[in-house]
Amino acid sequence: MKPTRAFNESLWAFHFNSGSCNGCEIEIVAAITPRYDPERFGIKLVGSPKHADLLIITGPVVKKMKDRLLRVYAQIPDPKVVMCVGTCGISGGVFYDSYNLEGPVDDVVPVDVYVPGCPPRPEAIIHGVVKALAKLERIEGVGQ
Amino acid sequence: MEIFSSLLSGSGAWNPLAWLLAFVVAAVIAYLIWARGERSYKKGTEQTAPFISGNKEPPKGDLHVRAGNLYWGYTDALKGYYERIVPLHSGDMNDYVLWYLGITALIMVIVVVFS
Ligand code: SF4
Repeated sequence: MKPTRAFNESLWAFHFNSGSCNGCEIEIVAAITPRYDPERFGIKLVGSPKHADLLIITGPVVKKMKDRLLRVYAQIPDPKVVMCVGTCGISGGVFYDSYNLEGPVDDVVPVDVYVPGCPPRPEAIIHGVVKALAKLERIEGVGQ
Repeated sequence: MEIFSSLLSGSGAWNPLAWLLAFVVAAVIAYLIWARGERSYKKGTEQTAPFISGNKEPPKGDLHVRAGNLYWGYTDALKGYYERIVPLHSGDMNDYVLWYLGITALIMVIVVVFS
């Protein structure tokens, strides 16, 4: 599948909270503030998975959110990349042996980029987005 | 020629060719917008289902807004009237014919008495 011109110029992300404590959300919001302003590079958060190229997942995937995560993942058009933000999503973190978990995230959907930290700093999140973009370009075979 | 002339009326001009031209222009614009759409979505999967914050799409019937919802304020204001009138709508043909005959008889009596 060839990426469209619009796709080459921007990366739109949809954020999904699968049961996070809100710590990671605060850092994601900090990452899109004018201090870093990733929107000048075409990177922005969108309100619907149907508009997104990148799925950012926070939280360890609690039971109630598994179906919803699978549905949102399926609704993102191909090609897509998934970025897991925070220790919770990577390993379960402080909730790792909770009775209520279906996660970590890569037990539910395939993850391309991991951003560790509890919570990760905005710089780390932006670094993860850059990695996700590189991965997308590899999937697409851009520049080969 | 007759076909190119406009019909002038009190409320403006009417030229069928102008309308036809407007329709063709609108159709071309609509087609261009449609043709630039994303074609790589997978039919019959979640990609064509509406996004309701990740929730499952409820059956269409459950989302239906009934006429009763639209007229709620109206029927509520006239509750006293509807409370009496609704039970009369039994759906039974015999009842309706009985009402019809009764009202006809009443009108005839009134006409005879007051004529
Ligand atoms: S990784 Fe830390 S900050 Fe992020 S959701 Fe988990 S507990 Fe909260």
